[in-house]
Amino acid sequence: MRLSNASLDVQRYPICRNLRNLWDNMNRAAEQPEPNPLREGLSTRPVPQPCNIVIFGATGDLTHRKLIPALYNLAADGDLPPSVAIVGFARRKKSDDEFRSDLEEATRKFSRQAVRDEIWKTFAQSIFYHQSDFDDESGYKSLAKRLDEIDKNYGTRGNRLFYLAVAPDQFEPILKHLKAAGLNETCKGSWACVIVEKPFGTDLASARDLNRIVCNSFSEEQTYRIDHFLGKETAQNILVLRFANAIFSPLWNTHYVDHVQITAAETLGVGTRAGFYERAGALRDMVQNHLLQLLCLVAMEPPTDLAADSIRDEKVKVVRSLRRWSRNEIAANVVRGQYTEGAIHGDPVVGYRQEQNVNPDSQTETFVALRLFIDDWRWADVPVYMRVGKRLPKSATEISIHFKKAPAVLFNKDLHDLNVLVIRIQPDEGISLRIHAKVPGTSFRIEPVKMDFHYGTSFGKASPEAYERLLLDAMSGDATLFARRDEVEQAWAFIDPIEEAWHAKKGAPELFFYPAGSWGPEAADDLLARDGRAWRRL
Amino acid sequence: MPTVTETYSMGVPVEISRIDQELKKLWQDSAGAMTRASLMNLAVYSEEPGSLNKNTQLMAKITENHACRAIVIEADCNATEDGVDAWISAHCHVSGTGSKQICSEQISFLLKGGCTTLLPSIVFSHLDSDLPFYLWWQEEFREPMNPQLWAWVDRIIYDSRDWEDFRAQMRLVESAEEEAKQRMVFCDLNWTRLDNVRFAIAQFFDHPASHHHFGKIRSVRIDFAPGFRSTAVLFAGWLAAQLSWRGEKADVANELRFIGSSGRKIDVELRERPGEPIGEVAMETAEVEFLVTHAKCGDLLEVSRGKPGEKRMPQLMPAAKNDPVSLMGEELMRGGPHHVYLHAVNCVRELL
Repeated sequence: MRLSNASLDVQRYPICRNLRNLWDNMNRAAEQPEPNPLREGLSTRPVPQPCNIVIFGATGDLTHRKLIPALYNLAADGDLPPSVAIVGFARRKKSDDEFRSDLEEATRKFSRQAVRDEIWKTFAQSIFYHQSDFDDESGYKSLAKRLDEIDKNYGTRGNRLFYLAVAPDQFEPILKHLKAAGLNETCKGSWACVIVEKPFGTDLASARDLNRIVCNSFSEEQTYRIDHFLGKETAQNILVLRFANAIFSPLWNTHYVDHVQITAAETLGVGTRAGFYERAGALRDMVQNHLLQLLCLVAMEPPTDLAADSIRDEKVKVVRSLRRWSRNEIAANVVRGQYTEGAIHGDPVVGYRQEQNVNPDSQTETFVALRLFIDDWRWADVPVYMRVGKRLPKSATEISIHFKKAPAVLFNKDLHDLNVLVIRIQPDEGISLRIHAKVPGTSFRIEPVKMDFHYGTSFGKASPEAYERLLLDAMSGDATLFARRDEVEQAWAFIDPIEEAWHAKKGAPELFFYPAGSWGPEAADDLLARDGRAWRRL
Repeated sequence: MPTVTETYSMGVPVEISRIDQELKKLWQDSAGAMTRASLMNLAVYSEEPGSLNKNTQLMAKITENHACRAIVIEADCNATEDGVDAWISAHCHVSGTGSKQICSEQISFLLKGGCTTLLPSIVFSHLDSDLPFYLWWQEEFREPMNPQLWAWVDRIIYDSRDWEDFRAQMRLVESAEEEAKQRMVFCDLNWTRLDNVRFAIAQFFDHPASHHHFGKIRSVRIDFAPGFRSTAVLFAGWLAAQLSWRGEKADVANELRFIGSSGRKIDVELRERPGEPIGEVAMETAEVEFLVTHAKCGDLLEVSRGKPGEKRMPQLMPAAKNDPVSLMGEELMRGGPHHVYLHAVNCVRELL
């Protein structure tokens, strides 16, 4: 079906513009062009398209540490289409050459592979700097002109990818001006999209507000909300593990799974992020996005196909099925903690309240443990325990599926260990399975043993950085690894009552303290002990 | 105690009947510091004298990125006495995190005289169970092809560049596959050599707006290094297969002609030039030239498009390396079926 938008007066009716964007995208999907026959057998992923990548916040940390090194690595590996130009948009005065030189220095420092002069030289030819305040309308008009010129000279074909590597309070002016300058629209056959960095709001209301702001300029199909956890190899492998291996599927439900644990631990303290962290805390910073995304991948039903929306449809159902608690229940199911002074790897470290730029009476949580239930057919009555924290004894992100005990006859009368399947997200990505085996000898002793798969051991090739994968996906129009509006909003709808309970004037659940270098407050252990369970030893 | 080698020695001699026990011992003795890893059985067969050493060196490099059980076989068919000698060793590399050594084990065999007929039995009894079996055949194929062996092979790896008679060799492999009723994947390292150049050419046409050029290509020039004519012909075969060109009988060996679907003629010129296996590819329409050439630094390709004579803005892409370790590494990385290869072969079989 071909949809016509010729009669829409997009200037007069802003909603029409969004409809037009939507229709353009639908037409794009409906008129899938013939694939490039020369690509057959060469790549198994959607092909990234030539485009102009405009980075707002081009002088910031993210651009220097992650985005440009990621784009350089893609270029060095031959994965970036030759016709890609990068335009940095920021307030500071800088020439193209100064900008390139800053980026070169950063890329040499942060790139996963050594920078080669000849590749950098060619890569840098397509990097430009555009100086403007974010709320200066004329800056966007001149940007539009510049992008047109680049299209002409570099073959970027009118495709535009806007990357908002800025604080959320800058989204509105940027998006408003992009729209006013007509940069959210493109000619037929081209596309424009926007990548939004987290945090996607600080609560449901602000997330909705942010989504409204984005949606005023770009349709949902044009919006990519980046969560770099989803770009990690092992996160992507969760779906492969579950749906490419017949052995797990029959066991992946309430009949066989006793409980699930998800841990995201880090040894680092708040570092230089105190300003942000004081306002956010661990729940908003990690649970609302990364951990719930991981939970979705573990708990979702098989999608009908691998299309972005098929997968995201199933993921959002998981968040929607999370049991909501009353204020009293929150105290019983969520533990918050804050680190005090202690030691990490034998080195003494200060407590959170003594960190630079942290309020000495801060109530911000640096640790959260939750006991969740997914009220759907598959996971009924299977608790999911999540914990996330700073200044814990080691840095590790892992998901573990704890299977139910075998019947207590024959060998299992005295066995307490369960079979556990562990998915290690970082570091040392891999999968292990704990099973029981007889200890050799004449006596009948049974001990747990671990079957271990390490990515690094089996596959010599280093995984690309998450940002490399995600940028390539956005250039290819593949939104699978990006969060959709409803996913984000549903996640906030789950998180908000917890935050509200914590910040209630009366009867707020206690903030527990834990020494740096420990596995969190005792209350977190009690959360599981009440159910007769314990946190996995990492 | 057998020694775990970090150098390229063939390791410790062992009796054939004790290979499994000795391998077990090897890992017991080194438990803790080393991790055995294996994703496949990779056997390499050669009749070249001294190939055991040469292939052991290759395996040491290949296993850096592709953990496997390596089975290295040298056959001396002309030996007057029959016999089989065997060695075991391990290729160890420090893991990315630097904490552990990751090791692949190698079993080496020297088959002498009539014992060369024992190849299937030797291979079968030393495969790591449940892992795919890749056989790198460094010789020309010859009758009789042993269907028992081919029935076990998941991927047969060879380099058609070394073949004197492509058609006869291809017939043998195809009939072996047919006889063995096994859907074995043909992996031609001569085809792997083309991966990066194919990639560089393909990317010109990723945008649908470029597709109209397909119907306007009037000439292609492929520069190849001495000894790599078959590589260039395979490249032409790839273009023909993917763009639905039909081959016409060529009067001059290096001037090929194809007919496009609309009946237009496409001339393909093959030029021998010293340098890289495929030094340069230029495709021309009336308006534009698509050019892929090796950059001065050698391991990069320079890709550009534009009107002939016009100033261009070249981009760089990685070029393929032509050494056996890189070619094998690339081939093992790709996996999957090679239908496109077979289509390309079918388009130029008579020219190879």
